[in-house]
Amino acid sequence: MPGARLRLVAGLAALFFTAAPALADDALVYGKSDPAAKAGGKVAVGSLIEPPSLDPFLQGADARIRVTGLMYQGLFFEDQTGVARPLLASGFEVSPDARTYTFKLRRGVKFHTGQTMSSADVKYSYDWLRDSKNGSPGAGDLSSVTEIAAPDANTVVFKLSRGNAALPMTLTNKYGAVVPKGYFDAKDASTKFNEASVGTGPYKLKVFRPNSILVLEKNKGYWQKGLPYIDEITFVTMPNSAAMVVALQNRRIDLALFSRPQDTEQLKTVPGVEVKRWPSLNQKTIDLDVKYGPLKDVRVRQAIALAVDKAAIMKASIAGYGTVIGTIVIGMQDGWGVPIDQLPNQKVDIDRAKKLMAEAGFADGFDIDLTTIIGYDWMDAASVTVAEQLKRIGIRVNIKKIELGVWIRNFRAREMGFTFNDWGTTPDPSLLYYRHFRAAPQGADFRNWNNAKASELLDRGQEEADPVKRKAIYAEFQKLLAEEAVSIMMFSADLITGQRDRLKNYNQHATGWYFGLIKAWLAN
Amino acid sequence: MFRFLLTRLAAAAVAALLSSLAVFLLMRAVPGDIVSQMLGQSGNDRTAEEALRGFFGLDRPIWAQFGDWLGATLSGDLGRSWYQGRAVTMLVWDAFLVTAEIAVATLVIATLVGVPLGVLAGIREGTRTDAAIQAFNLLGLSAPVFWIGLMLLVGASAWLEWSPPFAYMPPGLDLAENLNIMILPVLSLSLLQAAAYSHFVRDTMVAELRKEYVRAAIAKGLTPRQIYFKHALRNILIPLVTFVGLILIQILGGAVVIESLFSLPGLGRLILSGIQGRDYPVVQGALLFVVLVALSVNLVIDLLYGLIDPRLRP
Amino acid sequence: MKRVAGLLREIFATPLQILCAVLLALFAVLVLVPGLIAPQSPYAIDVARALQPPSARHWFGTDDVGRDLFSRVIHGTRITLGLVAGALLASAVVGGLLGLLAGYFGRAADLVFGRLVDMILTFPPVIAGVVITGVLGPGARNLILALAVVYIPMFFRIARSGALAERQRTYVEAARALGFGETSIMLRQVLPNVLPLILLQYVILFPLALQIEAALGFLGLGVAPPSPDWGAILEQGKNFILTAWWMSLWPGLFLLASAFAVMVLGRTLQQRFDRR
Repeated sequence: MPGARLRLVAGLAALFFTAAPALADDALVYGKSDPAAKAGGKVAVGSLIEPPSLDPFLQGADARIRVTGLMYQGLFFEDQTGVARPLLASGFEVSPDARTYTFKLRRGVKFHTGQTMSSADVKYSYDWLRDSKNGSPGAGDLSSVTEIAAPDANTVVFKLSRGNAALPMTLTNKYGAVVPKGYFDAKDASTKFNEASVGTGPYKLKVFRPNSILVLEKNKGYWQKGLPYIDEITFVTMPNSAAMVVALQNRRIDLALFSRPQDTEQLKTVPGVEVKRWPSLNQKTIDLDVKYGPLKDVRVRQAIALAVDKAAIMKASIAGYGTVIGTIVIGMQDGWGVPIDQLPNQKVDIDRAKKLMAEAGFADGFDIDLTTIIGYDWMDAASVTVAEQLKRIGIRVNIKKIELGVWIRNFRAREMGFTFNDWGTTPDPSLLYYRHFRAAPQGADFRNWNNAKASELLDRGQEEADPVKRKAIYAEFQKLLAEEAVSIMMFSADLITGQRDRLKNYNQHATGWYFGLIKAWLAN
Repeated sequence: MFRFLLTRLAAAAVAALLSSLAVFLLMRAVPGDIVSQMLGQSGNDRTAEEALRGFFGLDRPIWAQFGDWLGATLSGDLGRSWYQGRAVTMLVWDAFLVTAEIAVATLVIATLVGVPLGVLAGIREGTRTDAAIQAFNLLGLSAPVFWIGLMLLVGASAWLEWSPPFAYMPPGLDLAENLNIMILPVLSLSLLQAAAYSHFVRDTMVAELRKEYVRAAIAKGLTPRQIYFKHALRNILIPLVTFVGLILIQILGGAVVIESLFSLPGLGRLILSGIQGRDYPVVQGALLFVVLVALSVNLVIDLLYGLIDPRLRP
Repeated sequence: MKRVAGLLREIFATPLQILCAVLLALFAVLVLVPGLIAPQSPYAIDVARALQPPSARHWFGTDDVGRDLFSRVIHGTRITLGLVAGALLASAVVGGLLGLLAGYFGRAADLVFGRLVDMILTFPPVIAGVVITGVLGPGARNLILALAVVYIPMFFRIARSGALAERQRTYVEAARALGFGETSIMLRQVLPNVLPLILLQYVILFPLALQIEAALGFLGLGVAPPSPDWGAILEQGKNFILTAWWMSLWPGLFLLASAFAVMVLGRTLQQRFDRR
């Protein structure tokens, strides 16, 4: 497997070095096409999670975005190389102060309802998204937008209160999408998303039976000629990864995305099933609330960082199918990261950790709760491993397993304590860091860090339009982050897919979403 | 009889009301509501939070919220799921059909297997047959249902190279596929219930056969067959009715675990996912439904008792 | 001494009952001195030996982080059985006392407690357990709370009907005539007579509570890792059910065996009781 890893990294690096400023290179939207592709057929996809609802404006859960990304589209596509590629936009111009973006819209785009998309729809949709009264988690990212104008049918202008180099990447497919103007006038509009889709995407909603299946059908009037290839996609909700393994084996499904690679071990010997690894934009972290007990002392946080052996935790929790990281997800390491050996507090050093503990007055250690979340399988093995590791510097870890709902509530209330976290990002450093680490009120500062230097860097990084200068700003920020140890970013797990061999050209997107299905095809 | 019915109905209504209130308060007493789930790890946008809370009516005093829910419920409206937007009555009904299919199939299999076994053991009291059946009963009663399910899954996969499809299919759309899905869950539940049946029938049978009238019948020269089937079996019908009711309620509980193991969209999954998502209307509606089913089963049992044997009327 | 021997001979007469006695003794050893049977640590991680099938070194195989399953299952005995025993004890104390009060004093106490018990009884036990642990969150404390609440009604009913019956007895009248207070009569005279009923109920309910405890653990609503609670091991094992069946087989067998032993005991006691 080391060979595969090398190729993977080399491939990623090549992509990053060729990453030119956004070009309307339509051929690259949704990944590479296969010249041998044939249209037709039905595919079944197994999934452990199911979206509670299909409203693309609500909820930041992967379960929802994974599938709504096939039905709804934003102005841009989040190419995993870190480039925002025009999707419903065909190109854009930005003013020198990065405060006015003028987007040209693609022509001939039709909604699933049959209406033709115009600038009025785009303005309506993004105005709805950015109005926080409508409750979208994406509203915060657009808080600097002061006005959206539609001077003509094919042009939309965004005016900002301060420069935002990440705006195109913000207008991708995670939160919000372009829907017909006036859609939300109906009182039960949000519910209607579960019955019929009204997006511009390559797939339309056919059936949504909660706790069971979700069926999408090909949008025959889709604007990208010849796409998609597959006629129908059925997402099947499965109870656990063992069930997905069996279903793949018995041809009940053609594709499954696994969260733990060891689950796919037995698939490797099954004829007709291929197990593949893909880089991800996800990271597993230990987060530290700076206001929580002994964690108030930076020396304690540093000691923890020095005692944690990231590689061992990765080995225990995901059988090593990932990459140890420093301060950024692996997908963005080459484009935006600082090499790990240039970051502080990355190498295990028990002696120094003990010394720091003693200096902080905890020579005899202390007891602390480590929070893990139910349903995140990797955390079970990781928590046990971390507990063993921290025992070496006298910290007695008590594992507390809580429900996701409670965890999110604590997180949002900035009462996270000492916890594992599992988060992904859209590939832009501002979108990755700002919300988490910028002091309030601009950022959410979940860890109560309240660091003026960090906030200043994050503000500058967001406004800086020059990519080289921007990278330097974020490098400085990352060194500060590692020094202060408010979030110990441990590793990015590879995305692992199991695929039946009749499914061709499926390329797993680094977000973990199913964009790859749009250019995949079925051989018989 | 009428007064009896009325008191029972009143007691049931009070119990249903109290349990609804308990569920209502319990759900709201714990941290983390639907709003924080919807906003997730995104920014601390107070406006969005307040807007959503207002939308769901979570900003109102808790008694007012309960009053609203109770009023609507009494007029037959259980509200809509906060996530899916579908009417809770529809969600509960769809889920109930799945659970009911499991329950009925289990009941049928368990009866067909359990009653004859129990009768056999009862007739042959003290023999090896009796001991063997008793051992089976106790083992069946001791085995955790979900564990039986797990082992069946392993067995089917290892020896038959077969696995259930997991994507639920209603019987109306494709009966064969539906049976494919249902077979393992129903089998796992049936083992326990057949054992319970057999255990119960055996003991009642043994007790019955020791009674005075059986001795008298023997003295009168009736054949054993006539005694078993004319007298003893008839007399255990009444306790059996109660038992069926209890079993139905038990299956309802067991189905929760089995549904989650086999990914069936029944009542148990609905309640569990509702709790996890803090989808209050769904949890309240589904639990109210379960409670009403349990109460009606008990009421029917009481009524049947009253009908079959007037002496038992209180 | 002779009487005890006679009692034991009566309780453990049939092969089934002897098997039950052997199992009970075995579980008693596992609860008291698990380290003697399984010297390996139930917590020590060895990722290099993850998911190994049963072997001479690891009798029950290893789990996904390489912990010895034999040790985990053996050490889990005390945790699992202790949890159930504790929860049922709490249930018996609370339910028993409330039932005693309701049965002996009647009226207001009976009405209030009776309605509360009816309310709990409206939920099938597993569903009540799922709701309580699901809402309050998993963990040993909430698990005990859930199990205790679920079984309060059973103890309540037994104690109540026992107290109702005892209240009419002549010895209560006699005590009253001798000038004993009502509370004192209830605790000194009635309680000892109701206690055997409660104890019997305890033994009968134990296997049922054990199954619910395991089911909640299996749903992820039980004890937090790294505790080797049987339900928790099963929950962890379900993701490996086809590759590592041993993770699910052993804890299930132990659950089965312990529930079986207690059930046979309960049945034997019940028969003895009915005969009197």
